[in-house]
Order: sequence, then C-alpha cells, then structure tokens
Amino acid sequence: MARNKNEEKKERKITVKELKRQSFLLIVSFVVVVYGIIFYYLPLTGWIMAFENYKPKKGLLGSTFVGLDKFKFLFGDDVFIKVIRNTFAMGVINLVTTTVMAVLFAILLNEIRRSWIKKPIQTISYLPHFLSWIVVTSILHVSLSPTGIVNDLLLRFGIINQAINFFAFPKYFWPIVAFANCWKETGWNAIIYLSAITAIDPALYEAASIDGADRLQKIRYITFPGIKPTFLILLLMNVGNVLNAGFEVQYLLGNGLVQSVSQTIDIYVLKWGISQNDYSLGTAAGLFKSAVSIAIILIANSIAKKYSDQRLF
Amino acid sequence: MKLKKVTALLLSFAMMASVLAGCGSQAGTSAPASDGGAATATDGGSSDTASASGEVTDFTMFITMPGSEINDDNEIASLIADKWGVKVKETWLTGQTASEATGTLIAGGEYPDFIDSDEMNLLIDAEALIPLDDYIDQYPEFRDTWFTPEEWDKFRQPDGHIYWINPFGNTMGETKQTTHNDEAFWIQVRVLEWAGYPKIETMDDYFKLLEDYMAANPTMDDGTENMAYTILCEDWRYFCLENAGQFLAGYPNDGSVIVNKSNMTIEDYNTSEDTKLYLKKLNEEYQKGFVDPESFTQTYDEYIAKLSTGRVLGMVDQWWDFAYTVNDSFKQSGLDLKGCNYVPLGLTTKPGMENRWHTYDDTVNQASGIAITTDCKDPDKAFKFLVDCAMDQELHDLRFWGVQGVDYDVDADGLYYRTDEQRQNWADTTYQAAHRCQYSYFPQWHGTSRDGKNANKPEEQPSEFMNDMSAPLKACFDAYGYTTYPQFIGSVVETNGPWFPMYSYSNNFTTETPGGVAWAKMGETKHEWLPKVVMAPDFEKGWSDYMDAYSACKPEDFIGEMQDILDTFK
Repeated sequence: MARNKNEEKKERKITVKELKRQSFLLIVSFVVVVYGIIFYYLPLTGWIMAFENYKPKKGLLGSTFVGLDKFKFLFGDDVFIKVIRNTFAMGVINLVTTTVMAVLFAILLNEIRRSWIKKPIQTISYLPHFLSWIVVTSILHVSLSPTGIVNDLLLRFGIINQAINFFAFPKYFWPIVAFANCWKETGWNAIIYLSAITAIDPALYEAASIDGADRLQKIRYITFPGIKPTFLILLLMNVGNVLNAGFEVQYLLGNGLVQSVSQTIDIYVLKWGISQNDYSLGTAAGLFKSAVSIAIILIANSIAKKYSDQRLF
Repeated sequence: MKLKKVTALLLSFAMMASVLAGCGSQAGTSAPASDGGAATATDGGSSDTASASGEVTDFTMFITMPGSEINDDNEIASLIADKWGVKVKETWLTGQTASEATGTLIAGGEYPDFIDSDEMNLLIDAEALIPLDDYIDQYPEFRDTWFTPEEWDKFRQPDGHIYWINPFGNTMGETKQTTHNDEAFWIQVRVLEWAGYPKIETMDDYFKLLEDYMAANPTMDDGTENMAYTILCEDWRYFCLENAGQFLAGYPNDGSVIVNKSNMTIEDYNTSEDTKLYLKKLNEEYQKGFVDPESFTQTYDEYIAKLSTGRVLGMVDQWWDFAYTVNDSFKQSGLDLKGCNYVPLGLTTKPGMENRWHTYDDTVNQASGIAITTDCKDPDKAFKFLVDCAMDQELHDLRFWGVQGVDYDVDADGLYYRTDEQRQNWADTTYQAAHRCQYSYFPQWHGTSRDGKNANKPEEQPSEFMNDMSAPLKACFDAYGYTTYPQFIGSVVETNGPWFPMYSYSNNFTTETPGGVAWAKMGETKHEWLPKVVMAPDFEKGWSDYMDAYSACKPEDFIGEMQDILDTFK
C-alpha cells in the first residue's frame, strides 16, 4: 500500500513523462482488461435469461419476465436435487483422489535416484493427459464391458464367477469416474509437486541423513512440509472447481440405468437448456452453480487464512 | 502525421478483415467451379445442361440422424451437380442427440442451407426456417402429386405456413412394397430353418424357440457364441425396448399412445396389461440368461457391430434402424449364406389376435422433414432441386439405382436388373462413399417408376428382391410361401385414421405446457426404469416401483393434451 501512495505522488508530478515511459505496459494491460470485459463480464448479462421466459426470437430484452419461476421449477424437480448431489459427490471424490494420487506419485517418483528410469516414467505418466475424453471413455467402455479385459481377468483369477456389467449398476459409476480421472491426470498433476520438491534445499536432506533419518522420516519431515504451501494453494484453487465435476466423462459413460447417479449440473443444463430449448432453466441451473462455487471458494479461503498463512486473496 | 499512420493502420486492418470475410463467403461459389470441372472430366462430353445453366451451387445439409458422409468427389454427386447444378454436402449426427444438435445450431445462430431435424418446432421458434408456401405454389405439378391438400394442411404450422416437407413414405403408382419398413420382433432364418419353419404367433412361442435353438446350438460354425436376444436402448432408439407393448396388444404404431377407435380415446400403453406381460417375459428371459447383459449399456454402434457378427438370433427393431447396414455387412462377410438374415414376426400377447405391426398406407409424419433455412444462399435453386428430386425420374434413378451400365443393366423388356458383382459393389461401403449418392433425406418415391415397369427403389423390384436374397433367406420365404416381408407379419389390412401417427404430435411437444413437461419426464423415467424392471430380481416389486416413479411424472397431463389433439378429428 505504501508503495502505491508513493507512486501516486510521483505520477502527479511527471504525469506525461511517466505515462509515456509506461505506455507499452498501459496498452498491454488495457487490452487484457478489454478482453476480460468482453469475454468474461459482457456474457454475464445473459444471466437475465434465468429470470425470464427466454425465446431466441424475442431476444434478451423482449422476452417476458417471470421472476423466480425457473428457480422454483428447478428446486421442485427431484432430478435437480439428485444432480446437485452427484455433482458434489463426484467433485469431492475426484478432488481427493486426484490430489492424493498426484502427491503420492510425485514423492515416489522423487525417490527414484536414477534419472534414466525417472524421466521416461514421468513422461509416460503424463501422456494420458493429452488424450481426449472420448478416447478414454471408449477404452473404458470396451475394457469394462462384460466381455472386456477386466471381466476376463477377474473371471480367470476366480475373483468373480459371472461377468459384471459395470455400467449397469449405479454403485460402480462414481468409482469408475474417479478412476478415469486419476488415470488421466495423475502424471500431469504430479509435475507441479515434483517441481516443488526439487525446490527443497538438498542441505536439509543431508542434515537429516547425518542425524540418522531414514527415507520415510525424510519424506515425512522434509518433503511433506516442503510441498505444503503448493499443496494448499492448489487445493484452494481446486475447491472452487468442485462443481465442475466434469461433463464429458459422465455424459459419455452414462446411460439410462445409471442416470440417477451420473448426471451432473452441466449435463442437466445441456438437457434442459439445449435439448428442451428451455434456455432460461439452463441458465438458472448454471447461475446456481456459479453462486455456490463462489461461496465455496470464499469459505475455503477464509478457513485457509485462519489456520495457515496460505491463501488466494 | 501520427494520425495518418493510425488511420492507415486501421484501414489496412479493415481491408484484411474484409478480405477474410470475402474468403468465407466465396468458398461456397469458388469450390463448385472445380467440382463442375471434375464432373465434366469424368463424364466425358455429355454435360449439356450444366454448361447451359452455368455454375453449380454448393449447398450444405444437416440431418439429425447418424449417417455416412460420402466423398467430396463422389461420382454420382458430380453427375447430379453437372446436370442439375446442385451439390449438397450432407453432414450427419455424431455423438450428440438430435435435440442437442438442433439446440446447438440454434444457440450458434448459423444454419446449413437444408436441415432435417427431429426438433422442427425448435427451429420454428428460433425463426430459422423460411416458409415454403409460395415456392410450393410455383410448382403446381409437384404440389398436386406429392401430397393431397389435406396432407399439406397437416404440415401447416399455427402461423399458417408450411416450413418443411416430409421426404419419405410416398408411393407412386402401383405399390411394390416388399420390405417391412416398420418395427417387429426379428428372427434369423437359420433359427426358423432349424425348427422346420414353425408358425410363431406369441412372445412365448418366440422365446421358447430361441431357448431351444440356444440349447441345441450354443455356438456358430466358427465357434462364436450365439446370443439369443439383445435390446438396443440408447437415447431415442430405446423404442426397441419401450413400445412393443402397443403392438403386442394389436395396435398400430401411434408411437407415444394408443388410440382406442371405438370411443376415440387416448390410452396409455405404458401401464397396460400387455406391456406388463411383455416386460415380465423379458424379465424372465433376462433372469434365465437369454437376454444380452450388455443390452442397456451398449451404444448404437456397438449394437450394429454385434448384429453384424451374425451371432444375435433376435431382437425388436425398426427395419430402417438396422437392416441396411447389417444386411450389407452380411453380404460382405458371407454370413448371409449361413442364414443370419432376419425376417420379421408379427407377435401378439395371445395367439389368434389381430396385429398391426405393419403399416400399409403411406405414413405421413408431419413432425419432421426437409426444410430450407434462413441462411440458405439461394432458396429458389434449393427448392427447385428439392422438387427435381421428387419429379425428375432420371435423377431419382441415378440416386437409387445408380448409373446405367455400371450399377444396373436393362433387359429386353426394359426391366432394370443387377448382376451379382453390381449388387456386391452397391453394398460395399468404400464403393458407396466414392460412387453412390442417394441424397437420402430428399424427397423420394416408393412404388412404380414413371416408366410403369420398374420399381423406384431397387429393393422393391420383384426380380431384384428375389435375386438379391441369399439361399437360406429364399428357402425361408419359399417354405412359408411368402414373396414379401410384410407377409411374415400378416397385419390386418386397414386404413389408419387421419390422426395417425400420434407420435408426430407428441414429438413436437415442448416444455411450455404441463403435458410437454410430463412427456419429457416420462421419457427420462422410462429410460431408467424399463431396464431396471427387466433386470429386477423380483419382477412384481420392480414393476410397482416403476409405476410409482412413472405416476410421479403426471402422465395424465400428457394424455390429456393428446386427447385434445385427437378430439379435433372427431
């Protein structure tokens, strides 16, 4: 703050010169601000749709205003309540599993001393990140089908005696989604933790060795605290994303039998907003999602502020 | 000076933008020139009309059905472009549902020149279609042959305009119907052959036969395991599971409801005794392990792939939903010689009942059809081509028979026929993409061609129809003494009411009305519960749970609105 005040004083004295000196920066930041306004703030006017009975031909301003009717329909719809539950559940499960897996993987990878083993593993592990979901879900669909490799193996090892159609039972759906997310993202997410680990001063490890710490103790007392700030910041950012539990995976893997656990808010928005042409209802559902996400991130941030020195804002 | 520099910069930007924009709009007109040239080259010197009428217009079309795109340099498409000056680039549904695809188009606000959607009302709402009334009146001959005035009126929207034309289900001259282009319980001919061609009347007979066959023949010749029965359940195609109840009770395909003609009331087949019996039977077979466990989770592609292996003995489906792809692949793989082709059966709940699986009349589905959008480059030319498709026999033959001397030959009596090689080619997917161009969602005719001899569609040509059959299929036809597929069904011959089919009304319901909301929710509930009922360890409990979930959707709102529509025909 103090710095700002000083600058203001300075600027008043040499406005034109200072402006000229910073002209490039000013232009660049102006462009970014304009970009932000056009692509992030202007579209928000579309939220009006949630409060009217929007018809494409009448437009935003011409459609009839219906107040909170759409929200009433939304919260009176049992399906929507289930959809919220699914979104939260899958969001939280995904967040926990992918984070835990990424941290574990990063630590394990870091313990490998030979770089000719370590590097290829790291590269291979983040390759799935670049596959599109349609490919990943197709692989899953084939390998988890009753005649697929998973059932084949389970049958051969005598773990089950009849093939299971994994996609026909709601109880398997969330684990499958979590597994898919882990498989695809573990390697990618681990990159940031790996770099955090490399930033830890090697002298600490040396000192610990001299004091007689074994590997596990070094992990526990040096590596963990070392990556804690990164971990917390990432967690905070991802908590705000919990409601973005996914669209493609659930959409591509879902079917009639598991729809009560597979549909997320995004799918609900697509189904009512686009398929049934009820843009207003879709917008209302989306608006609700955004409001909840903002609330979650505010709460998470204040908790983080209270219990540690890490926070987003 | 500075100001000048800035203006110069701005101007050059503007020019670049306009050049880019120009590229966009010119792409449409510059491409046809080269296409036309290519066509002329392949065609030799016979391109008289094209050079007379000038350039070829490239149109785009989107169809909310999955289909195969043809190559850009498709030979017949080039011939058509050459002579009629129009080339249509068809794109098909991939991945999305029909309504999602339509909704996405509307949200984007940019449309192809032609569109055929299952959600026409959405497009009307968005004012995406141009009214066709004036165009139709410009072609009185087309107007009078294609539909009767009453039929045209069915297409009139509340604002009094006609926006689309259904391209299907019109018969010219004498009917040559050989296929059962409707829904049925299908069964492979090898099963019938094995059992000595018995008479199958009820679901119980049908599943008994499948069970017996499975017991005697667990595998095919090559060791592939046979599968008694599969059910396609993906998205809107879940009709393969959903609506057999109406047919088993002896009603025609009104699709979403049953019309009781005696007192002109709408009845709900979802809760009917026949539907319950049907699901109970499926449940029983599922528990016994005769129903494909993947039934409710397979996609359409997986289903077609499964049928194409020839291992599935039977299923419920519409002919058009599987037969073209699956029969072609049987022909390619030689499975047709092993009796893997399907024939339809007109089953009912009890023996001796009348059935109406087959629709003899032309079914005019006024809910969908081909439309021209407001973004169309040249609506006049577009509509003219649409009319040409229906009215020009040469064009029609080119689309469905192919090129004379290449795809078919003409005998001394003027009858078209195909050699085995030509038939093989016609069924080959690579050849189809490179050569065949049916513009299958443009107006087309069944029945007899304008020459009074040939059928408009090869599969309806009696000689072609019989010659195209594999030996086991022919043996089956001969054993029963039938010459066409509909004879297998043996439906009552009668004319349907003017309201038929009722699904053409319910397909256009929107969530604006309570009935539309109920209709949407019913669909969703049935998608989840019908499979559950079939899989339920305790059928009665599963059924009553389903009924609870179903009545929570307020189906009475939907039935009430359908009744209002039916009342207009009283």
